[in-house]
Amino acid sequence: MSLIIDSVSKRFGEVQALEGVSLEIKPGEVFGFLGANGAGKTTAMRVVLDILRADSGTITWNGTLNSDVPRQTWGYLPEERGLYAKMNVLEQLVFFAKLHGVPGKAAEREVRDWLERFRIPEYAGRRAEQLSKGNQQKVQFIAAILHDPQVLLMDEPFTGLDPVNVALLKEAFLEMKDRGKTLIFSTHHMETVEELCQAIAILDRGRVVVGGAVRDVRRSTGRQVVRLAVDGDLEVAWLGTLDGVRVSRRGQDYTEAEVAPGHDPELVLREALRRGRRVLHFEIADPSLEEIFIEHVGQIDSSERTLAPKAVHA
Amino acid sequence: MNGWRTLLPNTWYIAIREYRGRVRSRSFVIGTVILAVLAFGATQAPILIDAVAGGQTKVEVVVLASSLPSDAQLVLDQALNGTPAPGSSQHKSFDLTWPMSGQLAAAEKDLRDGKVAAVLIIDRDASSSDLVFTLRTDLAADGRPAQSIANAVTSLAVEDRLIRAGTSTAAVLAPTRWEVLPVDSSSAAPVKSIDQEVSSALLSTGLVVLIFMAIITYGTWVAMSVAEEKGSRVMELMLNATTPLQMLAGKVIGNGAAGLTQYGAIIGAVLVGLVVQGPLHKAALGGSDSGVAVSGLTVPLLASFMVLFALGFLLYSLLYAALGSLVSRQEDVQSATSPLMMLVMVGYFLSIAAVQAVTETWVVVLSFVPFFSPYLMLARVAGGHVELWEFGLAVVLMLVSIAVALFLAARIYSAGVLLYGQRVGLRQLVKMARVSR
Repeated sequence: MSLIIDSVSKRFGEVQALEGVSLEIKPGEVFGFLGANGAGKTTAMRVVLDILRADSGTITWNGTLNSDVPRQTWGYLPEERGLYAKMNVLEQLVFFAKLHGVPGKAAEREVRDWLERFRIPEYAGRRAEQLSKGNQQKVQFIAAILHDPQVLLMDEPFTGLDPVNVALLKEAFLEMKDRGKTLIFSTHHMETVEELCQAIAILDRGRVVVGGAVRDVRRSTGRQVVRLAVDGDLEVAWLGTLDGVRVSRRGQDYTEAEVAPGHDPELVLREALRRGRRVLHFEIADPSLEEIFIEHVGQIDSSERTLAPKAVHA
Repeated sequence: MNGWRTLLPNTWYIAIREYRGRVRSRSFVIGTVILAVLAFGATQAPILIDAVAGGQTKVEVVVLASSLPSDAQLVLDQALNGTPAPGSSQHKSFDLTWPMSGQLAAAEKDLRDGKVAAVLIIDRDASSSDLVFTLRTDLAADGRPAQSIANAVTSLAVEDRLIRAGTSTAAVLAPTRWEVLPVDSSSAAPVKSIDQEVSSALLSTGLVVLIFMAIITYGTWVAMSVAEEKGSRVMELMLNATTPLQMLAGKVIGNGAAGLTQYGAIIGAVLVGLVVQGPLHKAALGGSDSGVAVSGLTVPLLASFMVLFALGFLLYSLLYAALGSLVSRQEDVQSATSPLMMLVMVGYFLSIAAVQAVTETWVVVLSFVPFFSPYLMLARVAGGHVELWEFGLAVVLMLVSIAVALFLAARIYSAGVLLYGQRVGLRQLVKMARVSR
């Protein structure tokens, strides 16, 4: 009972877009695809949807091959957004719903309901080309979920939305999850992933470099992170001299350091106390996904980071 | 393939969307109105032609000669206006008036006032006793009216000489035996009239042009609609909801229906035009309401036109859709579909030539080639030289090629729609057709 991607490969001419990708996504899970541009996230989604066919490997949903799964099972928000420019919003949403077998009347009710929830009911009669990009994106999200799909695949769903709309979309996400849907989305934005996902896969040049439950991924390196603030010693210059400890970030509130595998992070606290200062803040944590991502994939292209909007924490 | 299961409802929804989108677009409305107005205007062309070319030349005949043959008026009238077929009220090219003899001054005044176009003066030469004719006019001396009058007066002069030589009037005017027979003199079929001949050639040319225009215009619509979906990137959403086969079928049907709607409007305008043509003709020019009847438009011809029209459109628009899927911008549609355009043009020109030569071997052979059948078979049907089995064979061949085109187009389409910003060569096209996705 799950979506199983079994050693899937896909090549476009010279480019190996996917290479032996194997993943298992459990029903009702929120799953994140991470990876730089060109890592194979979009191709992976298209292959799952049977829009593209894999060169080798199989994909099954609850034991059924993806090409035999009814199309209504899938909801898809493509990365390349597009609507019929000259068609009005209500008409085209009803059209998309009907293609998935939803009767016209029910589809219209559902559309009006969603437009209301996304605070754009007045756009029902407007042509798509008259809407702002963000509003078009919301319309597209509605198009992806109108037929109540079991699995929702979304390619960069949060890109290009303002914070209020990101919050609205996250709310819709969580509702779909509560309804028992399986959600799969790709993003560059680590905070969103940490907030929403139970499991992830990091793709790099068509391969899964690390995947699984978020907690396991964060623990996969064996390293730990300590955050320390000491009264009257903002620099904590001695921290870097400890064996197996490397200062990774200095901040106003605390200093962050990585503790190599096999070293006890509590040594840091003991050393701080030994120095007779008052410890204001001490925390042991797993490395953030961002650190793991960078470790596996290398620095994210700075242009991509500025494109991705800052998510607000709902 | 689970695409077949939902082929019907989804194809239907897509066709409806295509149809509505097309019919509501401004270019469709404007185009249809313009074409309908033009078609209506064309049906009124005979009135215009009659008004320009069919006018009467008014001639006053002034007789100065002492005596004329007693039937001089009849002879001149028949020589100028021809012998009317029994029962028809034929249009007269010349209107002759015969005032009392010797009214030269009055006739010259009418000429100067523009009441008549010419004054014909008939006198007799004193020494030879021959009739002498003078035409006073500003019409060209070698123009058709002047030449006709010259021929007519010659007849009168000859008659006058014969009578003076002692032949009786009855003998001179006895009707000439004159008959027209077909080349194959044993044939029971009557000889064609010029109206029939022109009408049948016009008809087959007209029907061929209708098919040609439909394929080019509506085929391009299909290609444009594919490119538009690709350009606006709504394609990927569609691909998740439907299959390429459904999209193809829906587009071809939807755009075809929009095309038929436009044709319906045009044909409606033509019918209205034909109905009002007679009364309008009467109102504008007076005389009889001589509507041009479309002769030769038989039920078999109309039926084969519709079959060939539908099959031709299906075959070509599938290919248009496949080519449209290779480009991502509407501007590129023109260049992507130009090979197909060439094919359509070749068929068209062949058929224009074929209208005059429907029995030639090359026409017969090419009329079975599916790409040319819509034109050439139609021209042959209009020419009346087709056996039923020949027509059936052409239809079967077209159906087979439509099935092949559907298969290939669906393959090319499903590969093409996700290609962006690439130039697709022939080799890739073949590869796309061979491997699905």
